[in-house]
Amino acid sequence: MKLFFYKSILIFFLFLAAFHFSFGYIVKKIEKNIDTTISKEKAEEFKVLIREEMQNAINKENYIKPEDALIINKFIEKIKNDLNKNK
Amino acid sequence: MKLDFYKQKNSILLIIFYLTALILAFTNLQDFGIHIEEKFHRLNGHYWLNYIAKQFGFVDLQKITEIKINSISDYSLSSVSYYNKYGIVLDLPIALIEVLFDLENTTSIYYLKHLLGFIIFLISSLFFFKILSRRFDNFYINFFGLFLYVSSPRILGDSFLYKDVLFLSFFTISVFFFLECINKISLKNLLYFSLFNALALNLRIVAIFLPIFFLLVLIIKNFYINIFFKNYKKLIIYFLSLVFFVFIFWPYLWEDPFLKVIELFSSLKTDLVYVKILYFNKYIPNAFLPNSYIINWIFISSPIFQIIFFSLGYIIYTIRFYGRFLRIKNKSIYNDLWRSKKEEKDFIFFLFLTSCFFIFIFSNLRLYNGWRLVYFLNIFILYFGIYFLDLSFKYFRKNLLVKNCIKLMIFVSVFYNSYAIFSYHPFQSLYFNSFLSEKIKNSFEGDYHGISAKHFFQKISKIDERNAIKIAVASHTPLHRGLEGISPNLKKRFEIVGQEYHSADYIYKNNISEVNSVLNKKYEVPENFSKIYELKINKVKIYEIYKFNG
Repeated sequence: MKLFFYKSILIFFLFLAAFHFSFGYIVKKIEKNIDTTISKEKAEEFKVLIREEMQNAINKENYIKPEDALIINKFIEKIKNDLNKNK
Repeated sequence: MKLDFYKQKNSILLIIFYLTALILAFTNLQDFGIHIEEKFHRLNGHYWLNYIAKQFGFVDLQKITEIKINSISDYSLSSVSYYNKYGIVLDLPIALIEVLFDLENTTSIYYLKHLLGFIIFLISSLFFFKILSRRFDNFYINFFGLFLYVSSPRILGDSFLYKDVLFLSFFTISVFFFLECINKISLKNLLYFSLFNALALNLRIVAIFLPIFFLLVLIIKNFYINIFFKNYKKLIIYFLSLVFFVFIFWPYLWEDPFLKVIELFSSLKTDLVYVKILYFNKYIPNAFLPNSYIINWIFISSPIFQIIFFSLGYIIYTIRFYGRFLRIKNKSIYNDLWRSKKEEKDFIFFLFLTSCFFIFIFSNLRLYNGWRLVYFLNIFILYFGIYFLDLSFKYFRKNLLVKNCIKLMIFVSVFYNSYAIFSYHPFQSLYFNSFLSEKIKNSFEGDYHGISAKHFFQKISKIDERNAIKIAVASHTPLHRGLEGISPNLKKRFEIVGQEYHSADYIYKNNISEVNSVLNKKYEVPENFSKIYELKINKVKIYEIYKFNG
């Protein structure tokens, strides 16, 4: 009985430890990643990055490549036409 | 009558120690600042006093406490009717003293609470000394254990402030009676154990481990001594008295006790604080603490010798335990987890420390503000430290050189702790191991109690003699609560404007933030302010003052 009791406790402890350091660890890591990705601070970080990028764009002489500018212009024109048609 | 000279000499040493501690406490009590949660706990005391007055029909007391509750106002204070699960162990008696003696000065009420908290801590140290004395034969080593218990800088600093050390105190007394009960199951021991266990449980739910481990040790002992059959009546009385005392000391449970107990346990999940904490210079959410959080904090904020003694003691005991475990035989008392009464105590301490540590890791406990929520582990840490010293003296009893080296380490440790206490005063709660670099010391949370507020207001009043000074706070610390630690005349001169930096004359800053301060700029000091003062103790940054440049 005594040995059975000690062994049961040991196995229970080892099971908990194995669970915590394998499955529990992965779950914790995923939860942590989700938490940091959608956090308010992360949103603030993105805002700062966008602001910096916009500032870079203003400072550069040509921010968009001429061929890209042509495509974007055509695309905007296309959108405008489609919107006007369906007014 | 024959006098025992050694016993007398030892008693005198103990009396001198306690008298010195009390004199130092009385003379330096008012140097400490006011803890940010003191207001809430004063409110908590009056809230439950009012409840009891209502229950027993004490109309006058009810009226007085209602006035008191209404006078304690603070926009940043949590609602006491919602957060009503906190214990009343010290809050309610202090509220009663405040009413009975008609104490009006809030600052005096807080300092009275500090003093009572410290006295309870000193009383618990005597119980710790008794635990050691019943296990180890060398008086001086036990006395050294007592010294370490009282003089660990963080614990000593916090002993004046709040319930973490109050819990440690009641937990220590409970552990003493736990061991007494294991040694001799008498009704007296069991009643004392249930009483102090209930008081500890009232402060922190973690004291639930005490009856669980008590039962576990009894089950193990029951394999060769029929404890349950012999003492079942006493044990039933113990569990009933524990329930009775828990109920009596916790007015929260008086209505619908079963429902309230369920609420209490479910609130452990819902009411837990979710904050970002500064840990190794990174802001991490306290819901995802690394497994090494508790160990790291203990190692960086405890005196180095204490850590060395503990580590060696714990390693030696673990090896011995492993050996015992491998040699267990089913029907032999000799081949079990322990062989003598003394070893039984070592096993109990090992069981407590190791189990608590792993339970906290497995349950992803949301800790914050260092390891203050698990300060009760300190008695186990010190026990294994003393275990190592006792073993070393026995093992090297014939080797004078080693013996003297250990004695030297003990002396250095005593001087080191004393020096740390004096040099950090009154900020012992912010103690960091001297062997850490300045960068590491400041890469953790600092003054979470907000005790530097008193020092800050006194400093500003010397720098600026105007009668109206506006203070902004670049920290999560509710600085305005610290105003209760200064005189009413001085208090009138300050107006706290929170994070409205544009309207402030000065900014108070410490490294307490509930958000990631690197990304969230709410606590960033504006460029039109410049640093005029910085309080640093042993390279630990306590707080900074910034002044408006105009």
